[in-house]
Amino acid sequence: MEVRIAPQTSIMEKLKILGEGAKYDVSCSSSGSFRKNDGQGIGNTVAAGLCHSFAADGRCISLLKILFTNECIYDCRYCVNRSSNDVPRASFTPDEVCELTMEFYRRNYIEGLFLSSGILYSPDYTMELLCETVHRLRTVYRFQGYIHVKAIPGADPFLIQRTGYLADRMSVNLEMATAEGLRAIAPNKHRKNILKPMRQIQNGIAENKNELTLYKHAPHFCEAGQSTQMVIGALPESDYQIMSVAENLYQKFSLKRVYYSAFVNVNEDRDLPALAGGPPLLREHRLYQADWLLRFYDFKVDELLTEDRPDFNTAIDPKADWAVRHLEQFPVEINRADYHMLLRIPGVGVKSAGRIIAARRFGSLTFDDLKKIGVVLKRALYFITCSGKMMYPTRLEENYIVRNLTYQNQMGRGEKLPFLPDGTSYRQMSLFDDNDFGRNWKAAGG
Amino acid sequence: MEEKYLICEDSLEGIFTGIYEAYALREGHEHVHIQIGEEENFRLFAVYLHIMPDPVKTEKVVQTLRSRLGEHVYHTLCRAAASCYPDKGEAVYRTVVDGLTAGSGRRVLGNFKNPYVARCFELARFTANEAHYEIEFIRFQELAPEKTGKSAVLFSRIGPKNNVVPFVMPHFADRLSIENFMVYDENRKLFGVHPAKEDWYLVSAGEEFTLKEPDLSEKEADYQELFRAFHRTIGIKSRENRKLQRQMCAYRYQDYMVEFAQKG
Repeated sequence: MEVRIAPQTSIMEKLKILGEGAKYDVSCSSSGSFRKNDGQGIGNTVAAGLCHSFAADGRCISLLKILFTNECIYDCRYCVNRSSNDVPRASFTPDEVCELTMEFYRRNYIEGLFLSSGILYSPDYTMELLCETVHRLRTVYRFQGYIHVKAIPGADPFLIQRTGYLADRMSVNLEMATAEGLRAIAPNKHRKNILKPMRQIQNGIAENKNELTLYKHAPHFCEAGQSTQMVIGALPESDYQIMSVAENLYQKFSLKRVYYSAFVNVNEDRDLPALAGGPPLLREHRLYQADWLLRFYDFKVDELLTEDRPDFNTAIDPKADWAVRHLEQFPVEINRADYHMLLRIPGVGVKSAGRIIAARRFGSLTFDDLKKIGVVLKRALYFITCSGKMMYPTRLEENYIVRNLTYQNQMGRGEKLPFLPDGTSYRQMSLFDDNDFGRNWKAAGG
Repeated sequence: MEEKYLICEDSLEGIFTGIYEAYALREGHEHVHIQIGEEENFRLFAVYLHIMPDPVKTEKVVQTLRSRLGEHVYHTLCRAAASCYPDKGEAVYRTVVDGLTAGSGRRVLGNFKNPYVARCFELARFTANEAHYEIEFIRFQELAPEKTGKSAVLFSRIGPKNNVVPFVMPHFADRLSIENFMVYDENRKLFGVHPAKEDWYLVSAGEEFTLKEPDLSEKEADYQELFRAFHRTIGIKSRENRKLQRQMCAYRYQDYMVEFAQKG
């Protein structure tokens, strides 16, 4: 294969401009699709997905995440590429995208391509360009890795259908949890237009499943499903509203993932919040934790939040928060509880719950065994018994447990947050505001 | 009863031959131990036997493990045997005994109450995790095509703690089936070699081998620079979090990755 990149400076500039434009899109997973290589081209996909690098913000780089073009006819307030912004504009050609993808892929830099775009001329025109690019990559370059393409709201359903047969995953961003919010912040976008392609892709996947049961070699339509993204903290929505929308999307639109993106005021728009403390990372983190509870732990949003308590507790995670408010169900006897109940214990995850079930067959488990299995005892110990005994004498009281869990946080031994406990994030408690408290105490006490 | 120590070579073959010999002694398993590499501190009243790796005996053990304990257990034992810790021989041996002789069979890995099974699980998990990281973080460089006009060769250098090359190769052999590529483990001087459209194999380069800095193809530097630029661009400034980055991708992997290399 002849690869020409000329002139060199221009492709570098383009990659910088169009990578810059795409980076606020969160979705970067390469999971959900499993495909072996057929010996004709390069690439395969791995069901669990692979991250190939980590950027300076600690987020994974799995896909070559770029815009096809950052020229855009829309003027959404939160977006760096909005038409009223004076930023350098650029567009790739389909061949440039294909060559970059292929060369990065064979060096194992990336797991595939994430192709999004600003709206050039019209949604139809843009979608056609994306479709053409992906088609080239699949047929001319014979690329068999992962491809994630944005469906452009308002584009011809035929184009979306055609792209879906080439891509592993498609996504349409919901952007705001409420329709009013979207109207206020993105005057050219309408909730209806966003949900329409989402429904189309959902139906396409369902029909494709039927085809595949009938004909084994039928082409796959969005094998890895579809995802979406909501911006968090740009408007005053509650966590309850956001999580309810997410739950709805999972149930009614069969989405694989909903992403939450802490709002970054890139445009310094005067109608949007300034966020002195940086993007609301802790809130985003809590939403993801709750999202996992919905998808893997059989929780319902109504169990976690209510109209009266519409936001997550910032001091402890949603699962522990649920547990301390339902102490009547605890302590749980590890040697007897069913899988469903094991999953609800703070400090026990999907893997350790499975291991507990397997290990119980060989005899009753002790706290030592749990430690080896991978249970986080410092969190679980308030909620479990092994053969009728608790690990230490503890009290089954909400205040006592919360105090202990958050006290560990202050000592730097508690919940592992993915960001530093100063500057970039929130103080956890106003009462206990000394971050050095633990160290000083240790120094004094020996 | 005196303790017997079987001294085995540090390899899958070595350990499996050791297990074969331990069973062949027919003395029960209580006083038989497997030790990897050299004997360190001699114990009183202990007998040391040196075991040479034997492909026929290894194959017999492999067959038995696969049929009686199942593929999953077999693969876990292989991963544990590839670990960098010297107690792996004993852990694998005792786990096999638990499965075959104590009768836990295919469910043996659930028996966390047996400290050797728990250790074996731990070792296998470490190897599996590291192999997974290497699959993610390996960076191939395109070598300069030889003057004969042969097609491109991709080369990667890694420095893993465990012997992960055998677990990494199948992934790339499928993914890059039409490419020539090599993975070089510099801690073990071990090459995994995959010629295009053929099966992959391992080559041990020997103790004295030192790697010459390879000649790279013309385009290689350009693509490395492009990826470095992409890597810099994609991070969001207001979310910068080096600690999280380090947590997700440890320094010992970063040392081998082009996007973390200092320029020049």
